[in-house]
Amino acid sequence: MATAKDADRVRPALTLSKEEREVEVPEPRLNWMNQSREWGIRVKPGKKGLTLGSLNVGLYGEIPMNWPDRTRNPRGAIGVTGSPPVAIQIKDKVDLWAPCAADLYEEAIQRRWAPATDVDWTAIHPLPEDVERAICQVCTEICQYAIIDVEVITSWQHQMAYGYHEVKQFLATTSLDATRRHEAFRKRALVNGGGLGYEGPCQVSRLLLESRGGWTETVTGLTLVRGLFTQVMIRYLTRFAYNGVERKIYECVTQDLARLLTYGIEHIKYALGHAPDRQGSIFTTLAIGMRMFNRDLRDPVLREALAIIFGGGIPGARNEGMHVFYEMLDEYVQELLSACQYLRLPVTMEQLPRVLQKDQRHLPGD
Amino acid sequence: MDQQLQNGSEFELDLGWMEKQGEWGVHAEPSKNGLTLADIQVGGYADAPDESRNLSGKPRGAVSRPGSMPIGNYTVRTKSEIWLENASFLYEEALQRQWSSATDIPWDTIEPLPDDVEQAQCQMATFLTEVEFVAGDVPSRWASQMSPDFYEARNVLMAQVMDEARHMDVFRKRALANGGGLMRATGATAGFVGGIDLARDFTEMSSRLHLSGEGAVLTIFRMGELMAYNDAEKAIYRLCAQDEARHVAFGVMHMRYMAANAPERREEIDSYLDEAEAGMLTDAANPAGQLNQTSESLSIMLGGGRKYFDEGFRKLVSIRKRQLQEYQKRVISAGFGERFKNGRSRLHDMLANVAN
Ligand SMILES: [Fe+2]
Ligand SMILES: [Fe+2]
Repeated sequence: MATAKDADRVRPALTLSKEEREVEVPEPRLNWMNQSREWGIRVKPGKKGLTLGSLNVGLYGEIPMNWPDRTRNPRGAIGVTGSPPVAIQIKDKVDLWAPCAADLYEEAIQRRWAPATDVDWTAIHPLPEDVERAICQVCTEICQYAIIDVEVITSWQHQMAYGYHEVKQFLATTSLDATRRHEAFRKRALVNGGGLGYEGPCQVSRLLLESRGGWTETVTGLTLVRGLFTQVMIRYLTRFAYNGVERKIYECVTQDLARLLTYGIEHIKYALGHAPDRQGSIFTTLAIGMRMFNRDLRDPVLREALAIIFGGGIPGARNEGMHVFYEMLDEYVQELLSACQYLRLPVTMEQLPRVLQKDQRHLPGD
Repeated sequence: MDQQLQNGSEFELDLGWMEKQGEWGVHAEPSKNGLTLADIQVGGYADAPDESRNLSGKPRGAVSRPGSMPIGNYTVRTKSEIWLENASFLYEEALQRQWSSATDIPWDTIEPLPDDVEQAQCQMATFLTEVEFVAGDVPSRWASQMSPDFYEARNVLMAQVMDEARHMDVFRKRALANGGGLMRATGATAGFVGGIDLARDFTEMSSRLHLSGEGAVLTIFRMGELMAYNDAEKAIYRLCAQDEARHVAFGVMHMRYMAANAPERREEIDSYLDEAEAGMLTDAANPAGQLNQTSESLSIMLGGGRKYFDEGFRKLVSIRKRQLQEYQKRVISAGFGERFKNGRSRLHDMLANVAN
């Protein structure tokens, strides 16, 4: 065992002035010593290193259902009392928890990327103008989604109790992910002779920013409406990518979004499992979300831009491209319904807007 | 919907949006560091407006929809309130220098320490875990209120939020890695008037968080070798210092921009600096300050045990001096050096009394 003296010997010296060497030293009070709720914890690194989740041992692993303390007392420390509180509103575990948050946090860090250097920006070549315009338009709308994601997540993070630090920390990774998403798509829009496009419609974004009453409801919109749709759209964009730049961006963004979706779905599951009476408000939020999504879908811009990308240009957009667009919507609906099934939310195809119902849709040539 | 779709066997396209896109024909070129934010400052896309009228979250340079709703409700819409000249650089550097507290710290170099040193380490780790998240939560809240037209500055703050999450967890990990545990919280970041949480102006918050608060912590992290007992602790302080240096740079560069572009706010900013100076040694958020819980644990760490407390305390005094000197340099660099000449600053007296 290293002794204090050994330790002192190996540590570098700080050269003190004569004045500093003569400083009169007050008698220490040491009233903070021997004060711990649990001592003797030695967490060892595992094969993924020393992870956040692995710290949850003994008393430090006790995560209560309610955390009334509105200070920044770390969970497991001896708290201070009598401090004016900070603005924490979410104090119940059911309102934010997902058991996977700590693991997702570490995964986000392991899978970090930098659009500047992880994308080979030279792997791009001029595209026909209609295709470039369509790609730039889609980039613009994804940038706007990402900007709103940042604003939504950051407006909640500080309101969450410190007892649930795993979730707060995970959310810090998601707002950086969204920041990077904005960055990557902006870079793509400006690198190949194009530019940014026309601003997207705002109804789903409005839902996300205006659902201030509950984080779980915000997560419902962020995950099941905006997130899942974006994920499916990026999957289709990957399939129809025109170059390595796009493929790489889509690949990295897909990973980032997958973590947000996992947290979101697992949080809703946790909330429903521990407070079944929340089902009504989650269901209603989703129904409102579908109405907002329907309004956004009425706007032709994203639809046409995607169809041009999928169809290889304007002529192809009028046929194949638009059919692929609807195929993409159907895939979104399938994923939405299976997520709802997993969450035991009684959502059926018939409850969705008509544009999302394959059987209700009349396409040219039908 | 169906109406829009039907047109014989083909879909009818509107395509009017193609006429409404932003500035066209832009070719951003990658530089030696890849395609950086600085490289995409091309044409009209480079210009952040002095006043942002973007209320709907559109990316800067995209064309507004006449019917878009002001859902962003941004409170920070004036460039000088938030801007700094090197935001693009700080952001790219932050992304390049992200690290993992799980795998980049050689945790297996930690060996059992004498109980007094372990207690001091754990007390300091508890304190740092506690204060790191004020530095995450507060910039996070501000980012949600900032026009995305100033996205370069917003991006730096988002990288900071991520950095602070990692700092919070690396110190929690340290506390639980070596036979210790968490100790007593300090309440250093409670909701006091003049605290980082409560500032209602971004520059006021930044002066307190970035310039004085994180500045003081940066000095300590830079001296980390003096209080580290193994390679794991050395790595923690070194990596955290790297991150903190960016956060402090944000504050200095923002204040410099403010000094040059909003001279009418100079007096107000000097008042923030008055407050910051008054609190530097008394504020519990400075781990080398006068709160005995932190200053005593630091002294034990610096000295090498309870037995060497006096030596440790004298080193602490020397560190306090350094904190004040580095603070002074930053304020001068930010363009507010006049206060050290015209008698407004109390720093001179403080330097003479660091041992108290
Ligand atoms: Fe920090
Ligand atoms: Fe920091």
